[in-house]
Amino acid sequence: MSALDPAFGWTASAALALVFAQAAWHKLRDLGAFAAAVAAYELLPAPLAPLLATQLAAAELVLVGALLLPPARAGASLAAFALLCIYSAAIATNLARGRRDIDCGCTGPALRQPLSGWLLARNAALGALALLGAAPASQRALGLADALPIAGGALALFALVLAANQLAANAPASRTLHARRRAAEARR
Amino acid sequence: MSDALLVSNALLWIAVIALALLVLALARQVGVLHERVAPVGALALGRGPRVGEAAPGIEAPTLAGARIALGGVAADGRGTLLFFLSPTCPVCKALLPALHSVIAREDPALRLVYASDGPEPEHRAFAEAHGLDLAAYALSTELGLAHHVGKLPYAVLIDAAGVIRAQGLVNTREHLESLFEARERGVGSIQEFVARERGGSDTLTH
Repeated sequence: MSALDPAFGWTASAALALVFAQAAWHKLRDLGAFAAAVAAYELLPAPLAPLLATQLAAAELVLVGALLLPPARAGASLAAFALLCIYSAAIATNLARGRRDIDCGCTGPALRQPLSGWLLARNAALGALALLGAAPASQRALGLADALPIAGGALALFALVLAANQLAANAPASRTLHARRRAAEARR
Repeated sequence: MSDALLVSNALLWIAVIALALLVLALARQVGVLHERVAPVGALALGRGPRVGEAAPGIEAPTLAGARIALGGVAADGRGTLLFFLSPTCPVCKALLPALHSVIAREDPALRLVYASDGPEPEHRAFAEAHGLDLAAYALSTELGLAHHVGKLPYAVLIDAAGVIRAQGLVNTREHLESLFEARERGVGSIQEFVARERGGSDTLTH
């Protein structure tokens, strides 16, 4: 099997760096709210939540830097994959407990996202990006012409992740709206 | 030829990014619209006492040890907001600051009563951790049953005459505000509001 072109790995890593940068920014802007979200997962003793919240936000920031540094990129991609697995495990545990009403904590307090299977699918897609970033690539030297697809691809993927997050956050409101409609129709 | 391909590629990337941003903007607008169309009155569930009926008269024990009278004509002429919560419900916790600020703005004279049931030590620790008034924290299974509370957090707004003015599931600050809105407009719940709106618009659409 011939090795992958390095532009693919770079696009994936750059997109992932943007996603983590946005996530870390949300967490650092309101650490208290993120600590509350971590505590609501009820996986660790509550007094540890603020410490863990700070560490998760710091880990995401370090990942952003490392994902964009050529020598650290492969290692950072695997670390990003591990972090996404931890998040997914925490979400899956609470889904199994039937606690769908707690906030994911993924998109900050302004955009509440209740836990759902969609978050697992999203994390799996991001995990695939991380693995793509870590996959061995051919030795082709990247030139100026590669900057366009890498930057463009990363930006487009990032915007799509944001849009998907927003749609997922809209979903509960959308369901209530449909429920109200049905209730109103049933009354007629 | 190669230059032409490069230019076409650049143009395509610009188009792809612009479209992705457009999708993002549309998704955000849908979110804003959802907030705007949330009508007055929280979602009413179950078959408990309805808006306009008298609230069930119950004397519930509080965490402070005394009993608190709910329902019936209030001697001091104050209305009551019954807020059903549980220490294990994250939304309830998150809603407490909003609850206090909405009451302070809409009706500072209102008597706020927290209501729940279950083991007392757990509730005491919860109330103390969140600075809730122990004398206004009722622990009574009977109270929840009387109001047919199925989902939390649930709020019931009772006027000074002991009549339920608004009630429903409250998940956000907007839902809380809508209780007061519903009291002013005399609309019982979301369903009633939607039914009225549809009744009004039917003459136009048909």
